[in-house]
Amino acid sequence: MLSTLRRSTLYVAKRRALARATTSSVPRRTLVQPSGADRASIVDVPSTYQDDNLFSPRPDMLGFKLEAPRREGILKDKARPIYLDMQATTPVDPRVLDAMLPYMTDQYGNPHSRTHAYGWEADKAVEEARKARRTRLLCGMRSQYTFFFLFFEQNIADLIGADPKDIVFTSGATESNNMSIKGVARFNKEKKRHIITTQTEHKCVLDSCRKLQEEDFDVTYLGVQQNGVLDLQELEAAIRPDTSLVSVMSVNNETGVIQPIKEIGAIVRKHRGVYFHTDAAQAVGKIPLDVNEMNIDLMSISGHKIYGPKGIGAAYVRRRPRVRLEPILSGGGQERGLRSGTLPAALAVGMGEAARIAKIEMARDHATVQRLAQHLIDGLESRIDHVVRNGDVNGYPGCVNLSFAYVEGESLLMALKDIALSSGSACTSASLEPSYVLRALGAAEDMAHSSLRFGFGRFTTEAEVDFVVEKLVATVQKLRDMSPLWEMVQEGIDINAIDWAQH
Amino acid sequence: MSPPVPPSRKTLLHLYAATLRASRGFSSYNFRNYFLARTKDAFRGIQNESDPAKLSSFYHAAVEELAVLKRSAIVNSLYGGWKLVVEKDKIERTRGVN
Repeated sequence: MLSTLRRSTLYVAKRRALARATTSSVPRRTLVQPSGADRASIVDVPSTYQDDNLFSPRPDMLGFKLEAPRREGILKDKARPIYLDMQATTPVDPRVLDAMLPYMTDQYGNPHSRTHAYGWEADKAVEEARKARRTRLLCGMRSQYTFFFLFFEQNIADLIGADPKDIVFTSGATESNNMSIKGVARFNKEKKRHIITTQTEHKCVLDSCRKLQEEDFDVTYLGVQQNGVLDLQELEAAIRPDTSLVSVMSVNNETGVIQPIKEIGAIVRKHRGVYFHTDAAQAVGKIPLDVNEMNIDLMSISGHKIYGPKGIGAAYVRRRPRVRLEPILSGGGQERGLRSGTLPAALAVGMGEAARIAKIEMARDHATVQRLAQHLIDGLESRIDHVVRNGDVNGYPGCVNLSFAYVEGESLLMALKDIALSSGSACTSASLEPSYVLRALGAAEDMAHSSLRFGFGRFTTEAEVDFVVEKLVATVQKLRDMSPLWEMVQEGIDINAIDWAQH
Repeated sequence: MSPPVPPSRKTLLHLYAATLRASRGFSSYNFRNYFLARTKDAFRGIQNESDPAKLSSFYHAAVEELAVLKRSAIVNSLYGGWKLVVEKDKIERTRGVN
C-alpha cells in the first residue's frame, strides 16, 4: 500500500519535471506587448473613406481592436422596438398570467378526469372561465372585517351576453371560423348549398369558403363600399332560399372598419333557416357585443387578441334556437361533441380572466386607444402631406390604416426598425402583394402598397406615439427625397397620366 | 348581516401607496406605466366617495389586486428583457478617450 503510493507520487513528480523541460525550450506565451510606433507603418485613412466601421485606435487598446463580446442581455446596448401591431397579437396581461400560473404548475389535472381531485379542480376552473358569473370565496385573512366575501366576476360568456353553455373552447379564432363555416354548411348540405360572405374577411374565412366551393357549394363574396362597410341592401338581395350561412366579420383586422352587425343580424333573422356567423376576433373586448341583441348565431373569439394567451379561442354556438354543426374533429366528445380533445385548462383559465378584465376595462381601454389614435393622426397630418386614411373614419380607433403616398410601405417598414408595425395582416406580411382588403375598398394599387397599420392597445403610451410620429415624419421625408416620383409630383406632373409602357 | 365597515382614509392611502409601489416593480415599460396610471385613476375616482358599501367593495377588490400585482411584478422582472427605445438613455456613454 505504502509502496504504491510512493510510486505514484514519484511518477507525478517525473511528469512535472518533463513538462517544465519542454516548455522552457519554447518561449512561453505571456501578455501581449505593444509594438512601438517606430516599427509599425501607420497610414491615415483617405478622406474619401466613408465606411461606418472605420476604426481609429486609442492608446489603451494596445494595438488591438478590442471588442468585448456583445451579450444580448446587456440592457443598455439593445433596445426593444415599440409595439404597434396589436391586431396581430396583444401582450399577455400580467393579471392573466397570474391567473394561469397555478394551472401550469401545481394544478395540472385533466379537466375531463371525473375520478379524482386533480380533474375536478381543473374542470371547475375551466367552467368558471366559461361561465357568466363566478363566485370566488375569499377568506378574510388579510382584512379582519371580511370573513367571507362574495366576489362576482364576469367572464367570456358575460362579455358577449351569452349563456355559458353556448361557449365552445377551440384553439383560436381560425379554428372557430373553420368549425362554424364548414360545420354549418356541411350539416345543411342536403338542402342548402349557398353561403354569403364579404371580400374583406380574414384569410381563414375566405379559405374555408374556397374549400367549400371545391365541395360544390355556392359562395357569394359581397363587395364593400368605399369606406369598407357592407351595403345592407346588397346583402339582403344576395340571400337565396338555399342560403345556409351569412358570415360577416365584426371589426376588420386591417382597417378597423366596424360592420353594422346589429342590422345584419336583423336582416338574417328575417329569413328562416339562415344562420349568422361573425368573426369577432378583433371586436370582442374592444367594442360592446351582445349575441342576443345582435341576433348572432355563431361567433369566433380569439384569446390572444384580448390580452390572453395564444393557442386558445372560443366559438359561440347558439343552443336556443339550436344551431347544428358537423364537427371537424372526432374523438372523446368534449365540448358538446363539437370539439373533441383535452381542453388546455391553463389557457382556458387565462382566456376567462382576459375576458373578465376586458369587460371591466373596456371603457377605459377604448378611451385610451381613441386618444392615442387622434394623437397620431393629428401629429402626422400636421407634418406630412398626402397621408390617406383607409377605411371608415368611425371604425375601431385602435386600428388606424394609413397610406403614405409616393412611399413604398415595405421600405418604410424596413427603415422604421425601432417600431414594430405591419403593412397589413400578419398572415400575409411575408408576401409583397398589396392587401386584398384595401383593394376591395377600392384603393389604387400604389396606395395599397404604401399602407401601414397602426395598432394601439391597453398598454400603449403617449410617449410611444410621440416617438413614432417623430420617426415616421423623418423617415417619410427621407424616402420621398430619394423618390423620383415625389420629385415629379413636386414639379406638378400628374403621375396617373403617365403612360409607363412606352416600348 | 351587518353593513360592512368602510375602510378608513388612512387604510386606503396605505393601500394606494402599496399599489403604486407594486406597480413600479414591473420591469417592462408598458406594464409599469399602465398600472401606475390605472392605480392613480382608480384611487382618484374613489377619493370623494362616501358610500360605505362602495368603499368597502372597492377596498376588497383593490386588496386582491395588490396581491396579484405584487406577484406579477416579480414574474415580470424575472423575465425582463431589453428596455424599450423610448425609455432608453439618449446619450451613449463610452469609456476611454472619446
